[in-house]
Amino acid sequence: MRVHLASSLQDALAFKATEPDAWPIAGGTDAMVHWPGAHEMHERTWLDLSHLNELRTVEFRDDFVELGALATYWDVIRDARFTALPLLPQAAATVGAVQIQTRGTWAGNIANASPAADGVPALMAYDAEVVLGSRDGGERVVALADFYHGYKQLEARPEELITAVRVPLRAHDHQDFIKVGSRAAQAITKVGLAYAHSSEGWRIVANSMAPTVCRCAAVETLVAAGTAVAGPDDLADAIAEDLTPIDDIRSTGAYRLRVFGRVLYHALQPICDSFS
Amino acid sequence: MSDRHKLNVIGTPAAKVDGLTKSTGQEIYADDIDLPKMLFGKMLGAIVPHARIVSIDTSKAAALPGVKAIITGDDMPRKYGILPVSEDEYPLETDRVRFVGDPVAAVAAVDEATAEEAVRLIEVEYEELPTAFDIDEGLAPVAEEARIHDYGPRDNVHKLVNLHFGDVEGAIERADTVHEGVYFYSGNNHLAMEEHSAVAQYGADGRLTVWSSTQTPHYVHKAMAKVLDMPASRIRIVATPNGGGFGGKSDPFPHEFCAAKLSMESGRPVKITLTREEVFYMHRGRHPVLMWLRTGHDDQGHITALDFKSFVDGGSYGSYGVASTYYTGALQTVTYKIPNYRFRGVRVFTNKPACGPKRGHGTPQPRYALEIHLDKVAEKLGLDPVRMRRSMLVDEYTMTANHMRVTSCGLDECLAKIAEAADFERVRGTLPYGKGIGVAVGSYLSGAGLPIYWNKMPHTSVDLKVDRGGGVCAKCMEIDIGQGSNSVLAMTVAEVLGLTPDDVQLVVSDTDTTPIDLGSYSSRVTFMMGNAAKEAAEKIRDMLVAAVAEKLGLNATELVLRHRRVEHHGTGEGMRFAEAVPIAEAMFGQLSSTGSYTPPRLAGPYKGSGVGPSPAYSYSAAAVLVDVDPETGIVTPERVWMAHDVGRAVNPMLVEGQVEGSVYMALGEILMEEQVFRNGLHKIPSMLEYKSPTFLEMPPVETFIVESIDGEGPFGAKEVGQGPLLPMPPAVANAVYDAVGVRIDELPITPEKVMAALADKEKGGPGRFGPGGVPEVDFGEVLAVDPVWYDQPPEDWIPTVRRGEES
Repeated sequence: MRVHLASSLQDALAFKATEPDAWPIAGGTDAMVHWPGAHEMHERTWLDLSHLNELRTVEFRDDFVELGALATYWDVIRDARFTALPLLPQAAATVGAVQIQTRGTWAGNIANASPAADGVPALMAYDAEVVLGSRDGGERVVALADFYHGYKQLEARPEELITAVRVPLRAHDHQDFIKVGSRAAQAITKVGLAYAHSSEGWRIVANSMAPTVCRCAAVETLVAAGTAVAGPDDLADAIAEDLTPIDDIRSTGAYRLRVFGRVLYHALQPICDSFS
Repeated sequence: MSDRHKLNVIGTPAAKVDGLTKSTGQEIYADDIDLPKMLFGKMLGAIVPHARIVSIDTSKAAALPGVKAIITGDDMPRKYGILPVSEDEYPLETDRVRFVGDPVAAVAAVDEATAEEAVRLIEVEYEELPTAFDIDEGLAPVAEEARIHDYGPRDNVHKLVNLHFGDVEGAIERADTVHEGVYFYSGNNHLAMEEHSAVAQYGADGRLTVWSSTQTPHYVHKAMAKVLDMPASRIRIVATPNGGGFGGKSDPFPHEFCAAKLSMESGRPVKITLTREEVFYMHRGRHPVLMWLRTGHDDQGHITALDFKSFVDGGSYGSYGVASTYYTGALQTVTYKIPNYRFRGVRVFTNKPACGPKRGHGTPQPRYALEIHLDKVAEKLGLDPVRMRRSMLVDEYTMTANHMRVTSCGLDECLAKIAEAADFERVRGTLPYGKGIGVAVGSYLSGAGLPIYWNKMPHTSVDLKVDRGGGVCAKCMEIDIGQGSNSVLAMTVAEVLGLTPDDVQLVVSDTDTTPIDLGSYSSRVTFMMGNAAKEAAEKIRDMLVAAVAEKLGLNATELVLRHRRVEHHGTGEGMRFAEAVPIAEAMFGQLSSTGSYTPPRLAGPYKGSGVGPSPAYSYSAAAVLVDVDPETGIVTPERVWMAHDVGRAVNPMLVEGQVEGSVYMALGEILMEEQVFRNGLHKIPSMLEYKSPTFLEMPPVETFIVESIDGEGPFGAKEVGQGPLLPMPPAVANAVYDAVGVRIDELPITPEKVMAALADKEKGGPGRFGPGGVPEVDFGEVLAVDPVWYDQPPEDWIPTVRRGEES
């Protein structure tokens, strides 16, 4: 195992340019969990970002918030300004327990690319963007909704690092984050839903329902079009078009489809006239 | 009771005597032991579920710097097993592995990382064999050379039981109604916070000491002598305080033998602490059990016959399995009058970690089946489930059809208490959709009536020694696994001698320095050790009383020990305890005493009757209020009312603690915990994915202590460590039905199963999730035994003391 302890962002980007296989690590809340049994991880080259205070930032600008790559869940939970983006502290509070929340980073949640990530759906519902940096290519901004190409397949080049996450500051009249897990705390999501409605329209995002966290295009269209929905079953076709949940150690595909439909229906029924 | 006989310590809520030591982090657990020049051991487990070992090459590991000793099966080629009838394990397997994780070699090295690297360098060649992973596969015919073990009645069948008491068929035929059902209870792990750990030191004097986190130092001692082929007198086992046991530390384990052998090979102390993953593979937890039952009832719902079958998935070794199998059929009869009873059971070997005892040992599974079944019967007959149960409870001081002797029984009071507290009759049926209430009962042993290897010796003894300064030292091999047995020992001695518990110094769980106690299993310690401690203390009391009476010219029968004094019960004339001691020592010599306890002979007149008898049974009744979210299937227990007949609460605070702990552990089994394997590989061997409840899942528990004052228990006490788990799973299942109208006849009751049952119901189905049927099995020759009828107790049975009388 080799570890490069980056001394600056510039140094980190330089290292990543010369060693594109290096694995960035910050909070370590995913890597360390798997460490004892994952012997292949012991052979990797690690790029330790944890000392880069220049990335440990939360900045509210005029029309967006920028979370530096080392901003943690806890940084958001404790920051009262996030009442403007309530899904973020709401989602953050469901991740692990306080110990994890104080170490885990939003950028890490994105980079880890777990379909069950809890931070990602909240960000995606707000149209967040991922800021990628590299030594030679400078800065590149990608919509989070376009960031995943498949299971653990990222729109990020080997030499790039996530340097920040930008979340537009918009007025939302409806929004919520709903997590169904196997217990009330310290559980990984079995069925997850984040939605937000603004002047830009509906964003309906699912986690643990497909190979990646994703927006539900067919469901968004159905809701935006005002198609009559009399019960959860009326959502089934659109959900089946958007989502392909699997059986795994935590749940079954059948359960996920059925419960996602119900959770979604009961979330939107009080706020959408088309839902009876 | 006159004031003279008032209990001053027993019955008083008190902190544990080791509470401060534990809560301040000063307790020394096995893994805290750090001896000079100590090495760290690591075992290599099999990576295939069933195979012949073709070869083991340890040369690369031996060449690794820092490696001090390597052993394989050939170094300890003597079999052991907790039960004499199934000694089928080697510490390291010699020719065959039977589950993924089955240890084949072990290394001692200067540090843990080196030991881990070394075991990975050991090359093992396997020739794979056919596998069996579940009950159906375990029952399938198999070629002789592919059998998992070369013993047992046939194929991979480990044990068959076929017992018949009375005339079940006749009673079923004559019954007003007959009901039948099939249930499945999943296997799960104990999940003790402390992983197993052992430290061994083989000295230049040729003596071996093993400190181990074990519930049964005596049985480890016995097995260690056998496996190492050493005189037991050269071996000392010290059980270290267990950070939870729950049955998971009741077998002798490979790491204990390996630490010992590696110490003998290297000449240095060796520690082996299991990882959490290894604990899941060592297991010995709850058996998965498939069950079928059929009952006949009269028009009042009274059971006229019970026909019961259990299919027990044993995993790869015998462990306690023969006893576990019998237990699945033993205690159905001690709660309800069941005049005709048939029990057929089969345990199969499968290529998974061996199952063994977990809290309730073999009895929560049938209790789950029976109590849901009775809920269904009550509904069909239009009867209130509490009233129906109360109308058919066993009598006190009676015998059951399968020859279990019942002494005190506070079950009716338990049911009355929880029904009243939960306002059951009014609440049931009036709750909105999604809310439900359920009840169930249970019963458990206060210690097994027979020891694991049959003999006539005491099951426990306590030595007391009083020093001239007035200090009292109590010695016993009992091991506190968190249940509070140290406190019970100190409180019992303190009560009799008029002291406070912290006046009593304890020396415990050491085969060299303490007299026998068989271990912390079968809920036996309070009952048995309590009796021994009481006897030993009464001998000291009698000497003190005689000495003080003579010194002060008082009548010995009028003296009492209380408030650290020996004094006249009326006038208070007397002296301090510490002053009385030298006077008594001058009169009698060193003030020492021994008390012992051997249960009365309880086994019935048939093979298999050794499992189930107990000097006394505890009883529990639970009511549970649940919320079931029909959108997600999530079951949330909102309130629990538990009444437990503990005979007498030695320490009410510890009784409540055990009740709450039982509720908590039960909720894990009910809602989420399950050992899951794929081709023998544990799918979730970590606390990340093997989910158990957090305190957010823990509902308020209202505990009612019922005291039936058992005639044979110390001060009337019975058990509480295991019994309160039993009614929980069926009570929750019954509450789920009350809430949303679906029957989940298979644990755990996951949201997935609830949703599947709700979907089934929506489609017009029965709204049930559970097994569809049971396999056809030849259970072998039936052993027909005349039942003991309730109006004909055996002539040789007379309880020593009747309820309500004090010794």
